[in-house]
Formats: sequence, structure tokens, C-alpha cells
Amino acid sequence: MKKAKEEMVLSEFERKEISRNRVYKILPVIAIILLVLLWVAASSNPLSKFPSPAAVWDRYLKLLDRPIKDLGLLGHIWASLRRVFIALGCAWLIGISFGILIGWNKKCNALFGPIFTAFRAVPPLAWVPLMTIWFGTGEFPKVLIVFIGALMPVVVNTQAGISNVIKEYLDIGTIFHANKKQMLFEIAIPSALDAIFAGIRNSTSAGWMVVLAAEMLGGKSGVGFLIVRGMDSGDYPLCLLSMICIGVVGYLLAIVIQLLERIICPWTRKKSA
Amino acid sequence: MDEKKISLRLEHISQSYIVDNKVFDAVIDVSIDVYQSEFLVILGPGRCGKTVLLNMIAGLEKPVDGRILLDGEALNGSDERIGMVFQKRALMPWKTVMENVEFGPKLKGVPKKERREIAQKYINLVGLQGFEKSYPNELSGGMKQRVSIARAYTNNPEILLMDEPFGALDAQTRYAMEEEVQRIWQQEKRTVIFVTNNIEEALYLADRIVLLSNCPAHVKEIYDIKLPRPRNTVDSEFLRLRKEISDNTDLAL
Repeated sequence: MKKAKEEMVLSEFERKEISRNRVYKILPVIAIILLVLLWVAASSNPLSKFPSPAAVWDRYLKLLDRPIKDLGLLGHIWASLRRVFIALGCAWLIGISFGILIGWNKKCNALFGPIFTAFRAVPPLAWVPLMTIWFGTGEFPKVLIVFIGALMPVVVNTQAGISNVIKEYLDIGTIFHANKKQMLFEIAIPSALDAIFAGIRNSTSAGWMVVLAAEMLGGKSGVGFLIVRGMDSGDYPLCLLSMICIGVVGYLLAIVIQLLERIICPWTRKKSA
Repeated sequence: MDEKKISLRLEHISQSYIVDNKVFDAVIDVSIDVYQSEFLVILGPGRCGKTVLLNMIAGLEKPVDGRILLDGEALNGSDERIGMVFQKRALMPWKTVMENVEFGPKLKGVPKKERREIAQKYINLVGLQGFEKSYPNELSGGMKQRVSIARAYTNNPEILLMDEPFGALDAQTRYAMEEEVQRIWQQEKRTVIFVTNNIEEALYLADRIVLLSNCPAHVKEIYDIKLPRPRNTVDSEFLRLRKEISDNTDLAL
């Protein structure tokens, strides 16, 4: 009798849970539908220069037929992504190492901290003139600018994570007689991994934004270049199409990073109540 | 016990801190002899002095005055022969149960196969077989403390410090864990120094109870508890001792 009641309670709870989860799946779809409706409404006014969804779709089909600078839409997206990936790889490697260094070693922090803080205040795009003088308008300066933009969040978050290691964890290390190296690799770095991942997340979105801006300033490929091309030739559907691609790719990047975090930090997956 | 060997000796230990530009005394002139293989409970009111005392034995902080001797030699910093079970944040959340338990031997460079064997033995001893691959946040509070106890034993310490290990547990789990600690202690004889503010817990577990005063902590009284184990918490002698100690305990503010 009691067992049956328990089961009923549980199933009722589960049913509520399931319907609640369904709401969470439906809500984003509703938002997208609303946005498209708004878009249709905004573009239906004949006086507005706002391209309609149909115009954007047509532009997409046309781009399939006639590539711009020998590259289709996917080709341009890949050109942008490739720059981001190269820059991110370097930024993560160097940023995490540097963050650990200044987070762990107080002297290094005193030595590099202030300069770094000042560098951080300079927006990555402010480097564009110097980069152009030094390296021209090729691939390298673009990657370098993205690298600068992606480096900062990684360093800041890693440094914060390492220097804020909870004292109780270090106490465990002391009790078990850990040496300095073990303290760092067994305790400080793993405990800072969620902070480091926050940095990786931020650097990915920053990198994706900076690459587009860098491409808008000069380049012959990439999504940022498509936007400029659209603007210069009055081809607004192309601009809008590019913007949609930017949003979708940014969203996909965020999901990939989230998956990566789950694989590397499996302990964050299940949180007990 | 006819002949008692002194394992750990605290000599005139004092500890103070500077808080808001004033000296705050946490511990004043505490001297305790801890005998080999005994279960010593440090009982004290409120949040004063007890943890500080344990931290000094563990080498996490240095006393401003006094000496701590282990087997006749003065301790300086943390020592491999002393293990500790913490009250809070006892486990590293990024390590599985097995990885937490094998932490001590791993740091010492014991080969994986060997240290896993030792760790497994103590995981079994605390009744957690089957949870080796779980992460701490998948475990209940009682299970976490079992892991913490297994980890301390795996490092094979002479002296085991327990800092209010069950303070955060609910009453029922707490009783179960007290029984568990007693069983493990009887099976794997070590010197245990157990800190608590719970008189009943102290009486249930202790060979001797060191009663501390309120802040600053000093030794108020040492009780020899001769009741046979396992103890009955409603036994008349148990209740008499409980009242005696309770009447002698300072009120915590």
C-alpha cells in the first residue's frame, strides 16, 4: 500500500518534471518564431530598406551559384573559423600557462601584473593600425589581433582561479606532505579548472567577435568581409545573411565548448542537491 | 591499561592571533599526553580552540609558544605520521573516490597498482565498495566522511586527527558514523585524536576526554572513561558521566 503510494508520488513528480522540461525546450522555439514574425513585419513596409526573410533566402541561393572571391558561404565561414581556431589554440596555450604563472607566483604577479592590466584595457581592434604597418593586411595580422583579443580573458580567469584556490584544499596537500609541484598540479590547477573554462568560453566568443571586426577592416575572405562587401554594393540581404551566420556559428561554438568542458571536467556534470 | 606509551606530547601550547589590532588568545598553556592507540576526544564548547589545537598538531599552523613532540622528537610543520579528517570540504571534488583515497601514497610515488590495492582495502573497510568511480558530489554527507576516513587510513598514519568530522551530518547519520569510526578504530588500531562539541559523541567514543574551557581554551579536566564498548547511551553510568561533564562545561556564547 505504502509502496504504491510512493510510486504514485514519484510518478506525479516525474510527470511534472517532464512537462517542465518540455516548456524549456519549447520556449527557445517560440522566441525564434516571434523574432521571424517581427522581421517579416519590419520588412513588409515598402518604404523600409530592411531585407525580408525571403530576400535573404534568395541571396543565400544566389551565393550558392555565384561564389564571392571563389568562396561560397561555407568557405567564408571556414576562412573566419580557421583564423579563430589558430588564434584560440595559441591563446589557450600561452594564456593558461601565463595565468598559472602569475596566479601561483606572487613575484611574477608583481612583475607582470600591472603591465598586463594596462594591456588588457587596450581593445584588440586598437592594434589594427600597428599590425597593418608591421605585417600588412595578410593572414598573420588578423590571427594576431584575434589572438590578442582571446588571450586576455584566458589569462585573467586562469590567474583568478589559481590564486583563489580554496585554503582547505591546500590544507589537504599540506597534511599529505605535497611538495610545491604536487600542490600546483594535483590541487591548484584542477581546482581552478572551472575558472579556466570560464576563460576559454569568454575567449571563444571574444575571438569570434574580433575576427569579424578584423576582417571588416581589410581582407578578401571571411564572414566579416562579406558584410563589408554587402555594405559597399548596397547588397543588404548579404549583410543580414552574414549576420545570421555569425549568430549561428557563435551559438554552435558555445555548445562545442560546453561539451568540451563536460569531457574534461566530468565532476561538474552531476551536482547533488 | 598497565603500561601506557606516550605517542604525542603537547607541552605548554599557546596560540594567539591578531584581530583588529588586538591580540586574541585562542589557546593558553595546553599540555596533553596522548597515549599510543588510545581514542582521545577533545571536547570543548562553541568554536573555540579545538580546531586550532588540531591544526597545530597537523602542522597547518605554528603555536606561538610551546612544543609538540611525536615519539620524543619535536614536530616542525606537517608530518607523514599524522593524518587528518577534515570537517568541511574534506574531499577534492575533481577526484573520484578512488583518486581521493589513493592521494597520500600517490604523492609519495607509490606505483599505481600497489596504491590502488591499499586504497581498495580501506574503501572496503569503510563500506564504499562500488563507489570507487563516483565523484564526491554524487555522495551523501556521511559517505563523503567515510571517503575522508579511508583516505587518512590509506596514508598509514600513526596518529589520526579528526576535526568534528560529523558536525555537518544529520543526527541519524551521525550515530551510524560514530559506530563506524569505533569499529574501524578497533579493527585498525591507531591513536585517534577526535575533536567534538558533542558530549554524547565524546562519551560514546573516548578512552579519555580532555575537556577544554571556553575562550581562550585551556585544559579544564581530563576524564578517564572506563565504560565497556560498545557503549549504551542510556546506561546509568553513561548518563551520570554525561551530567558530570555537562555541569563542568562552560557555556558557549
